[in-house]
Amino acid sequence: MKNSTIRAVALSLAALAIMAVRGVAQESAAMPQASALAEQNLRPYWHVFAAYALVIVLIGGWAVSIARRLRAIEDRLAD
Amino acid sequence: MSTAGMRRGGTALVVLGLLGLIALYWMAFFWVSTEVNQGVVQRIFYVHVPAAWTSFLAIGFAALASGMYLWLRDDRLDRAALCAIEGGLVFATLVLTTGPLWGKIAWGTYWTWEPRLTLTLLLWFIFVGYFMVRNSTEDPEKGKRFAAVVAIVGAMDIPFIHLSVIWFRSLHPEPVVAKPDGPTLPGDMLATLLFGVLVFSLLFFGLFLFRYAVEGLRAEADLRARSVA
Repeated sequence: MKNSTIRAVALSLAALAIMAVRGVAQESAAMPQASALAEQNLRPYWHVFAAYALVIVLIGGWAVSIARRLRAIEDRLAD
Repeated sequence: MSTAGMRRGGTALVVLGLLGLIALYWMAFFWVSTEVNQGVVQRIFYVHVPAAWTSFLAIGFAALASGMYLWLRDDRLDRAALCAIEGGLVFATLVLTTGPLWGKIAWGTYWTWEPRLTLTLLLWFIFVGYFMVRNSTEDPEKGKRFAAVVAIVGAMDIPFIHLSVIWFRSLHPEPVVAKPDGPTLPGDMLATLLFGVLVFSLLFFGLFLFRYAVEGLRAEADLRARSVA
């Protein structure tokens, strides 16, 4: 009785271990697909952020360029 | 207006424009509703269209100043056209960089040779061409006159860009704001768009005034250098 109980518990644990290993294996096999999906879903956000960042970079760049030219011409006039 | 006055006016407009830009980003990211068909990428609309409007405003303003320069031969008008063209180039570059970012998600490609894109690229080349033509002659006065003609011809591209989506088969949608029946955009999208147009126009005119002040000071420096020589 005691041996059969131990055997049943051992078999159950083995079955659980096999299921767990298979589950992990399946999950790791599915991971690239999931990350590709996540990448696909996030891509529009990256494009939106890039577009809004470009506005700051280009308009800011123009402002900085004007400020530098203004300073240079003021220095020239001061000389 | 004096150089100091232009700088004060420019500062006021740029500060207002920057505050507006912060508000526009908040509206575009947190306030306006998401478009049903295109999803989040449609939010590029709120900077793409105002940038296009501002580049049209710049070439229109430059064409007007250039036309008056050819008539009156006043250097201040030529300087105004030059500064407007420089701003127009910045905003046209914004149109041509934000548009493909939107197009890649919406159409599956960054670029296609459809009428509106091609005509907008032509406008960008006209902005660049203005500087090339201006600096291509040994006689600066001749360069200014040639560049003025480029600005006037360039402005003729604007109606074609606007109407190209009606005249030709195009990936761009037909106009949703500037149409005879009135705008068909939902209220919150229209408000965000119009606010974007206002903010970009403020930034353009603010920076334009600073740029014009630079040209005014440069003319003054050149005059002093000539009088010393």
